[in-house]
Amino acid sequence: MKVPYSWLKEFVDIDVSAEVLAEKLVNIGFEVEEFIDLSKRIKNVVAGRISEIKKHENADKLRVCKVDIGKKTLQIVTAATNVKIGDFVPLALHGAVLYTGQEIKSGELRGVLSEGMFCGGDELGLTENDMDGAGDEGVLILHDVTPGQDINEIIGNNDTVLDISVTANRPDCQSIIGIAREVAAVLDKPFKMPDLSFNTTTKKSNIGVEVIAKDLCPRYMAHEVDNVVIKKSPKIIRDRLRAVGIRPINNIVDITNYVLIEIGQPMHAFDKTLIEDNKIIVRRAKNNEKIVTLDGKCNNLDDTMLVIADAKKPSAVAGIMGGEYSGINDNTKTIIFESAKFARDNIRRTSRTLNLHSDSSARFEKGIDFQTQEIGMKRALNLICSTKSGDICENSTDVHESFDAERTVKVKQDKISAILGIDINTDFILKTLNGLGLNTELINGTFVVKIPGFREDIVNANDVAEEIMRFYGYDHIRSTLLKDAAQTYGAKNEHYKISDRIKNVLIGLGFYETVTYSFTSEKAFDSLLLKKNNKLRTAAKLINPLGEDWSVMRTTLTHSLLKAVEYNQKMSTESGKLFEISKVFLPKSTPLIEQPREVEKLAFTVWDKEYDFYNLKSTVEAILEQFNVEYDYITSNAEFLHPGRSADIILANGLNIGSFGQIHPDVYENYELNVQTFIAELDFEALIANAVPFKGYKNLPKFPSVARDFALVVDDNLKIGELITCIKKFSEAVKDVTLFDIYKGENIPQGKKSVAIKVVIQSDEKTLTDKDIQDFTNKLLNTLKSNFNAALRT
Amino acid sequence: MREKLSEIQAKCFDAVKNANSLTELYNDVKVKFLGKNGEMTAVLRGMKDVPNDKKAEIGKLVNDTRAAMEKAIEEKEIYLTKLEKKAKLESEISDITIPAKKADIGSLHPLSIIKNQILDIFTGLGFEVKEGPEIETDYYNFQALNIPKDHPARDMQDTFYFSENLLLRTHTSPCQARTMEKQRPPIRMVSPGKVYRSDDDATHSPMFQQIEGLVVDKNITMCDLKGVLDEFAKRFFNSDTKTRFRPSYFPFTEPSVEVDVSCSICGGKGCRVCKGTGWIEVLGAGIVNPAVLDNSGIDSNVYSGFAFGLGVDRLTMIKYGIPDMRLLFANDLRFLKQFRNVR
Repeated sequence: MKVPYSWLKEFVDIDVSAEVLAEKLVNIGFEVEEFIDLSKRIKNVVAGRISEIKKHENADKLRVCKVDIGKKTLQIVTAATNVKIGDFVPLALHGAVLYTGQEIKSGELRGVLSEGMFCGGDELGLTENDMDGAGDEGVLILHDVTPGQDINEIIGNNDTVLDISVTANRPDCQSIIGIAREVAAVLDKPFKMPDLSFNTTTKKSNIGVEVIAKDLCPRYMAHEVDNVVIKKSPKIIRDRLRAVGIRPINNIVDITNYVLIEIGQPMHAFDKTLIEDNKIIVRRAKNNEKIVTLDGKCNNLDDTMLVIADAKKPSAVAGIMGGEYSGINDNTKTIIFESAKFARDNIRRTSRTLNLHSDSSARFEKGIDFQTQEIGMKRALNLICSTKSGDICENSTDVHESFDAERTVKVKQDKISAILGIDINTDFILKTLNGLGLNTELINGTFVVKIPGFREDIVNANDVAEEIMRFYGYDHIRSTLLKDAAQTYGAKNEHYKISDRIKNVLIGLGFYETVTYSFTSEKAFDSLLLKKNNKLRTAAKLINPLGEDWSVMRTTLTHSLLKAVEYNQKMSTESGKLFEISKVFLPKSTPLIEQPREVEKLAFTVWDKEYDFYNLKSTVEAILEQFNVEYDYITSNAEFLHPGRSADIILANGLNIGSFGQIHPDVYENYELNVQTFIAELDFEALIANAVPFKGYKNLPKFPSVARDFALVVDDNLKIGELITCIKKFSEAVKDVTLFDIYKGENIPQGKKSVAIKVVIQSDEKTLTDKDIQDFTNKLLNTLKSNFNAALRT
Repeated sequence: MREKLSEIQAKCFDAVKNANSLTELYNDVKVKFLGKNGEMTAVLRGMKDVPNDKKAEIGKLVNDTRAAMEKAIEEKEIYLTKLEKKAKLESEISDITIPAKKADIGSLHPLSIIKNQILDIFTGLGFEVKEGPEIETDYYNFQALNIPKDHPARDMQDTFYFSENLLLRTHTSPCQARTMEKQRPPIRMVSPGKVYRSDDDATHSPMFQQIEGLVVDKNITMCDLKGVLDEFAKRFFNSDTKTRFRPSYFPFTEPSVEVDVSCSICGGKGCRVCKGTGWIEVLGAGIVNPAVLDNSGIDSNVYSGFAFGLGVDRLTMIKYGIPDMRLLFANDLRFLKQFRNVR
């Protein structure tokens, strides 16, 4: 909300500086986002009187002027043709800054010194509506000024504007008078209402108003003004509108805007001749009804939207924008002012559906109380009177639902202390509430607070407590550390504890945690080579994404991590390890009709030219070990992985909990990777759910273990895992099996390989004898011979 | 015999004296004089030729001589062992300035580091950690929090929608409603998580992390809110940190406040981080609106509470002096590695 200081002063006698006022406003909940000193925008431009004009010696189209600026006379070279001796003109001096941002320096023009530049209206940010002649080509001619006078003073650019942030609960403060009320309360000064008086003629208006959609339009006021003279508004109105960023148009439009800013009531003015049958009908639009609005846009309406219509056609989208042909023009002679209350949620929805926004709709969306229509209308008519813009008819039309002028909220005296935790003096409470226009009495230990219409936000004791507190000052709140509360147990939940643990394991293994966006692009699924029927392509799609790259919620972390790897490789980081634990979003179907399953995944990636599949497998197993689960590997069919260097992990219950491996050669290209890259993505939630809890201490072995090494010659295509599993399951005595070498080449027949394995055996009952060990070895070798055709290497 | 023994002893002492290493002492002395084929063994064998009346005397002499030799050897052995250990230590010198191979230890993301710091403080104050879904219903994100459909307060948060009813949560506050529906007071919980708003620039990311806090019990006041946040500020920044409340508005709290902390960088004198004000805005808070309690089935005539919402990203940027929010999401290893030694 932009509030010019001078406008505010009209309603409250402010005796502090703008800076002090700003601080006081912050303390009562109104943040002053910016001080705008309007005069800072245009610098070093003054009024000058032309005292002499000569031809330029070297240029036919230029003239050399002597200009009196009070203290001295300057020489200015100009191409302007509309100036003559004795004219007062805006002169930009050396070092001047114009409204356009252009800087002016003195210099030579065709060999003649020019100590500045004459300005036209546009260079001062003015149009013909702001000042006569400002819209003309050439230099702006000023009247009633003195040489040397600052241009900001002349064009009314000398106000300070406070840009105040108004919270959504205070729509009443989206107006000058609303802010003025707060200022009056904080400065302990009286608040003066604007002049609402006006004189009418004896003429009766014949305009009729019918409100059909009463639910969307609880109040509609109309008032006719005849013999309207369309003209420029007085300077003070134009200056103030410009100060808040509204362009002056003509007296009638300016009055509606002035009332909007000052009172907070959006007004509309219709040209009466354009209202068929003199009847205003407030109704829902028909489906597919069309209206071309003032901005030239054709809107297709439906029956949720409200229009202002006459007997034949809609003339405005209610509260948002008037129709193209209903507006005020230079030939307008009779107008109807509209001052109405429309349902804010309906305005908000219609404005968004039609993508049609205006100062009026912005104001309606925030909400306007029942009484402001009348104040707005009266103020508009007062301005018609004071600017001699027309003759006001005697009668006003006012169609409204019944409403309470005032509500009562009762608050027990001790409730205030119960909310705030401190005791506040009763006199202070009464003085504060009454100062805000909330007439309050203390009756038998209860504050009885009369709430005026414009404070719809106050409904309960907490609201009243806040009103008191923001004036009493939050620095009075003491620190008490939950002194009357029950003791509670505080801790991270199990999920967090496991997550922390796994993160620490990965960190110990050299991985860095990443945080990547949950959004992704559907193109990501192509980059990952996902098949058309892959379930991961079923992704929740945003209606209003920031862009295509952010349009769906990810179903996999792999893409996000590969993008991070791509970035790091582009930054010439030759190797690295990253991980992330985050949610993916797995809808049953799209478009989304219910909340999707949100599944937390663990993904980690490594890029390093020295790394291989088995290094990755070792990290995968280190993680799986943390969950104490049994698992097996199967060939992975993850499209983004190298088919020969990837695997899926299957838990003992058959659940596939993820894939890992080197990425597919085509994926390298899609992500512009040049260092070999590995990735694993595991279902973290499934791992947690299937984790096997620690079963407690087991007795240490009583008898010594024995290790035996075997070099076995087997077929080259034998999967070594099968061999190891067979040995592990061979006997209870087998405690550990480790592979320590694989050899092919000299002394090994073609199509065979030698596999060196260490087997640790131990009995729970006795110390194994040489014979026990020999028997075990013979039996094991026989089994391996018959299962795998494995022979002991000789 | 007597001469023979004293001769052997003299030779042995000489050999002990000349032995320069443990190996020499063993080979050239111990084995030579006391070994199976050593000189003393030969003397013992000669005992059978000693006349019987002399045997006791000579026997004693032999034993004394042997004991003297053993003692000499042992003493020398201790001396040589010391000497050799010393020599070994002196020879084993590593150049400590040669760079070591870098141990490959990773780190948490700074956002997680800060999140953990915050959670540790609040769990220490008796707060439980709760979590909720990121794709929320309109009800939990807005309506349950006293923000009806088409209410202007919805403009405070630019929302990503999937449908009329499904959206990306714009704050962690839905966890307030979800917790209060399931749990009766006393409630003391914090709820960390990702939230989303359609903003993207140097100070706003479309995805960021918040931590929601909620206390509901009997007799909870604004002073308790101040007490908890003071404690948080002191532990998170330093013990001199102060908090300041400014009136504000959130539909689900009343009264509502913005909370500033005194700038820990300049100690409140004014610097670049606090833009010269000495204060940094870090969170929004307030007394839980009775309407929100009633919506969740908690009697607002009996119970009261407070709630607050912290921005993890903002606190991370403030605490570690990170100038651009986008650095947090680029995952540049050169950035991440800087947080290796931070807890």
